[in-house]
Amino acid sequence: MQIVVFGLNHNTAPVEIREKLFFAESQIPQLLNTLRDRGIEESAVLSTCNRTEIYFCTDHTDESLAAIKDILVSVFNIDNQALEKYTYTFKDESSYKHLFLVASGLDSMVVGEPQILGQVKDAYRMAVHNKTTGYLLNKLFHKTFNVAKRVRSETRIGYNPVSISSMAIELSKRIFGELQKKKVLVVGAGEMSEIALRHFKKEGLHEIFIVNRTFGNAKKLAEEVGGIPYPFENMSDLLAQVDMVLTSTGAEKHLIDAGLIVQVMKKRKNKTLFLVDIAVPRDIDPLVNNIENVYLYDIDDLKDLSQKHLSDRMKEAEKALEVVEGEVAKFSLWLQQSEKNPLIAFVIDKAEAIRLKEFKKISQKLKNADEETLRNIDALTRSIVSKLIHPHVALIKQDSDREISEIIKQLFTLEEKDEKDLDNRDEGQ
Amino acid sequence: MNVLIFYTALFCYLLSALSYLVHLIYSKKPIERFGHYALLAAFFIHLVSVIFRYFQAGHTPITNMFESLSFFALCISGFFLYLKTTYKISSLGCIVLPFVSILLIWALVYPTDIKPLSPVLRSYWLPVHTTFSFLGNAIFFVSFLVSILYIIAEREIKKKKSFLFSARFPSLETLDSINYRCMSYGFPFLTVGIITGSIWAGFAWGSYWSWDPKETWSLITWIVYAILIHNRLAIGWRGRRTAYLMIAGFISILFTFLGVNFLIGGLHSYM
Repeated sequence: MQIVVFGLNHNTAPVEIREKLFFAESQIPQLLNTLRDRGIEESAVLSTCNRTEIYFCTDHTDESLAAIKDILVSVFNIDNQALEKYTYTFKDESSYKHLFLVASGLDSMVVGEPQILGQVKDAYRMAVHNKTTGYLLNKLFHKTFNVAKRVRSETRIGYNPVSISSMAIELSKRIFGELQKKKVLVVGAGEMSEIALRHFKKEGLHEIFIVNRTFGNAKKLAEEVGGIPYPFENMSDLLAQVDMVLTSTGAEKHLIDAGLIVQVMKKRKNKTLFLVDIAVPRDIDPLVNNIENVYLYDIDDLKDLSQKHLSDRMKEAEKALEVVEGEVAKFSLWLQQSEKNPLIAFVIDKAEAIRLKEFKKISQKLKNADEETLRNIDALTRSIVSKLIHPHVALIKQDSDREISEIIKQLFTLEEKDEKDLDNRDEGQ
Repeated sequence: MNVLIFYTALFCYLLSALSYLVHLIYSKKPIERFGHYALLAAFFIHLVSVIFRYFQAGHTPITNMFESLSFFALCISGFFLYLKTTYKISSLGCIVLPFVSILLIWALVYPTDIKPLSPVLRSYWLPVHTTFSFLGNAIFFVSFLVSILYIIAEREIKKKKSFLFSARFPSLETLDSINYRCMSYGFPFLTVGIITGSIWAGFAWGSYWSWDPKETWSLITWIVYAILIHNRLAIGWRGRRTAYLMIAGFISILFTFLGVNFLIGGLHSYM
């Protein structure tokens, strides 16, 4: 069987095409079923705003590709030539290398962004749910998650934030440390305010005030996302209370000037105030940054910082590429072996599945265990399994008349049926 | 034997300092943990060496340069360990512990042998006065380092150019809160140190206060910290300004401890 990926991303297709060839989550199960009906043995669909990709395994690559193009043409009403122009096909080694790169965030528009791994996981989960994954894709995706994790922990690819609101949060952490107990004021009720608001919520901040010139909009935003709406006139009272302010309004003139902040700082007894102004034209007088214990960042400051962080990430991406390439080589080797002798791969896989299941059980039971304990248990179970498996694998390798292989195969298939009994016995103890 | 224990402690301190430095660069959890255990080991071995010396000498071992520097270093590492129980400040280890190690190496420059105690120092006030003074000074030393770090990190965040320190070390608020805590522990210790010293002086020299250079300088130090506390509590000075005063206060301590011993002389120059 061959592993193949067919799709398009932000490098090959403009946004008009990407919008068009986008599968909503609700459409994916149907697509997966169609693919199975057309004779594609295993498949998974990854669809985000920057990419639409179909990963599949098949013995008849050309027919399958033709079938997929057929489906896309009929579903999205796009002509064949355009489809050829904007899409790519990777086979074998380059296909799983591509998946590794995607999941690690190396193929993303913003290099190193973390959301993509979650999206890959979702794609896999949906495929599993629809029973369109099999032995090969299961192995491939688990390996992929592993690679992405390695890239995250061994490089600093995701270390420095690059989006405006995550940078605002990173900076506030450098000033305040823990953010949960901090109060924040959002001025403005536009789209940027909403994004920032969601970010603050995610960080666990729960005292978020919203003011807006039109009170109704502040109220609406508060109802949609969360937060406490306040009348615009009360802004200076709020300034004396909160730790952080984010402004993003369409005001023509400064809403907050240095004089106001000087007054406010007296009321606050000099408690540190962090201001982020992402509006153009600016909402806060830049002179405010000169006041003691006040820190003001405007959109240009954040953009400069973002640029710098992005170039840091590019450097880290080179290291990450090395990790990926190493893993690609390992995966190729594993594929070769499993092709030569599918039974070995079957046995190893089976044992690994049991191990993973049991490991999950014990890690749920040991709620208080720290990471190191879990890692040790993981390593222990791995070494037990591999020692138990080793003689079987050796026997299969030596076996010329397939007699022993047959027994081993039965042994591991039988085990499947007995698993339920075993589980029950476990519970009884 | 005693010197051997001392060297073991020094070795552990160096090990801990090194692992905190490596942790700062590569941020690997196991290295941080190793640094922590090395520090714990270093502290207890060091403590044992001081206690051991106490029994060997038969008096509190803070009577010459070697003993003083060693005890000062012990107070610093002990206080740092205490701070570590409330704050996540492993990154500060790579600043504090090199200093502790340097103090111990510096101590070794001086003769380590135990000499009979001069009659003036034979008093119950010796352990009380010196322990409180040294603890106070050690706490202010930590706040001195924290203040320097605060000023650098604060500048970075204000200037927005580079974030070399602020990205790696504790947040401004954490540093400021450590400073506050140092102030609220250090100041009482310093005060008790000065008062007990004065009482002892009354017994030993017949006068509670004789404007000896060390006394004068410790009074100056006390005044600097008193101003700091007043400004913090009454006017709401915090952050950078507090940090500058903390640095001024410690320079004054440095002068009390070293300047007087080496440069001026006076009643306190026993060492």
